[in-house]
Amino acid sequence: MVIRRGAFVIKRMPGFTLVALACFFALYMPLAPLVVYSFNEGNNIALWEGLSLRWYREAWDNELVQSAAIRSLVVATVASVIATVLATMVALGTTRTRPYRGQTTIYALVNQPLIVPEIVTAVALLILFAMIKQATDYHGYAYLISAHTAFCIPFAYLPIRARLEGMDRVLETAAADLYATPWQAFKRVTLPLLLPGIFAGAMLAFVISLDDVVITEFVKSAGQDTLPTYMLGQLRRTITPEINAISTVLLTVSVIMVTLIFFLSRKKAK
Amino acid sequence: MKVAQKSLLAGVLLSMSSIALAAGQLNLYNWGNYTNPKLIEKFEKETGIKVTITDYDSNETALAKVRAGGHGFDLAVPSHSHLPIWVSEGLLANPRVDQMPNFKNVAEEWRNPDWDPGRQYSAPWQWGSVGIVVDTSVYGGDINTFGIVLDPPAELVGKVNVAPEMNDVITSAVLYLGGEACTGDKALLRKVRDKLVEAKPKWKSMDYGIIEKFAGRDLAASLYWNGAAFRARLKNPDVRYGYPREGYSLWADAVVLLKDAKNVEEAKTFMNFIMAPENAGLISEFARYANSIVGSEKYMPEDMATAPEVIIPREFIGFGKFYPTCPPDVQKMYTAIWTELQK
Repeated sequence: MVIRRGAFVIKRMPGFTLVALACFFALYMPLAPLVVYSFNEGNNIALWEGLSLRWYREAWDNELVQSAAIRSLVVATVASVIATVLATMVALGTTRTRPYRGQTTIYALVNQPLIVPEIVTAVALLILFAMIKQATDYHGYAYLISAHTAFCIPFAYLPIRARLEGMDRVLETAAADLYATPWQAFKRVTLPLLLPGIFAGAMLAFVISLDDVVITEFVKSAGQDTLPTYMLGQLRRTITPEINAISTVLLTVSVIMVTLIFFLSRKKAK
Repeated sequence: MKVAQKSLLAGVLLSMSSIALAAGQLNLYNWGNYTNPKLIEKFEKETGIKVTITDYDSNETALAKVRAGGHGFDLAVPSHSHLPIWVSEGLLANPRVDQMPNFKNVAEEWRNPDWDPGRQYSAPWQWGSVGIVVDTSVYGGDINTFGIVLDPPAELVGKVNVAPEMNDVITSAVLYLGGEACTGDKALLRKVRDKLVEAKPKWKSMDYGIIEKFAGRDLAASLYWNGAAFRARLKNPDVRYGYPREGYSLWADAVVLLKDAKNVEEAKTFMNFIMAPENAGLISEFARYANSIVGSEKYMPEDMATAPEVIIPREFIGFGKFYPTCPPDVQKMYTAIWTELQK
């Protein structure tokens, strides 16, 4: 019996294709009817009455959907930009330093939103923000934006940190040897190499913010329904394929973003 | 980093600092997809008050946010089952709805509901019932009984659906077996459990969303809400709605004024506004449930004003009741029965 060297290749394991296909099926199959019925002519989510773009038009013309969508995009943009800036600083602070006490603790703290159940964060924020709202009488967007920023940070942080760890330190050391100040080395060497990671992180944060329901539902003030909370509110009455249409658009946006992130993070760090 | 974030938050807070709620505004916190935009447009035009609507999806979410305080809402629309909690927890102001000019339009039977004695706190929004939906082309017998789902006639076996709502299902079975709502009688509850477990194999499903299934004739009977029965009949003319004589349950959602409301006068104006027949008609036109305002039928779409699902026929009115939320020990037994039924 010949044992090949470098023996363990997961792709050659028996049944690999089958398991992979089953996983993809389980992941994407439930989405198929949702997408299909978004093109339904009739006002039913389970009874096919012909092909039409009617519900996309209705959603597009619905003022509530419009304002909720704009609100979602604004919150997601602001929150993901702030989260990415902060995440970049944390990533530099946890990789481009000599190891120090508490480094792991910081790592754990930053990733806290990944571990704490969302409903717990939501209830905690509800109580905290309620106190601030009562004390200041301010009911604006700062609550939503700061909450979204907080839970977006780990999602932005992980790709940036991964990129930093994969980058060759030699280039930065060489820059320092050539009398570049730390700031110059960062601006001319580290940052350009890091950019794909930063973009990937920002997009991931953007998608996470765009999709959030639980925390938003608890934190939102009067008149601050985002697209997902608007959709949740529709559930008490008969749902029309308008919801399917909006979901399909959200899904498409998310898929495009994630694909972009994939290509960005595939760019090899030199 | 935490410090950076905090100071950032503080900065944003300061820069966007409180835009005082000017007079002429109103914040309505209501179920999603439940408020007719035409109603709001009419109100804004007539009063000059700008209305902001925010959605919620359950009584629990609404209660949690209002309990926490600082929500900024003026009006909310809880269900009758939860309204006493809002009152007893001191979350509401008392606007004396019963003394508002348009209160005269509220139908007699809605002036003193058990869940808001004297009707001081709440202005009527919409109400409905839980009853029996039957496709009469499949079964031609008496449909005004819970027997349709609990002892299905042979024609209906395997074509029955039951709404997956614990309180509605168990209360129906308790009433069917001659008990009182929220009974703690263990012997009776045992019979209730046996009856449900025995009936379940004769059901097809325990699901929401029955309209399309009645339209496609996949279902022939269901325990369900009247509004859906009405819409199912529009798609399948053989569908009828039965009012069980054992005592069907009613529900109602009503508009209340929150204690920490900032726009009290505007809110009261709105409460009075929705008790005018032409405005109540608009509420029903959109969400397709009945309101409690005399004369609003004239302003409803034709198919609704005459629908026996919406306007309860006189001979059945007496059977309907509002059932309160049961005490915790009874609720526990209900949950045990429900869990067993789900197996």
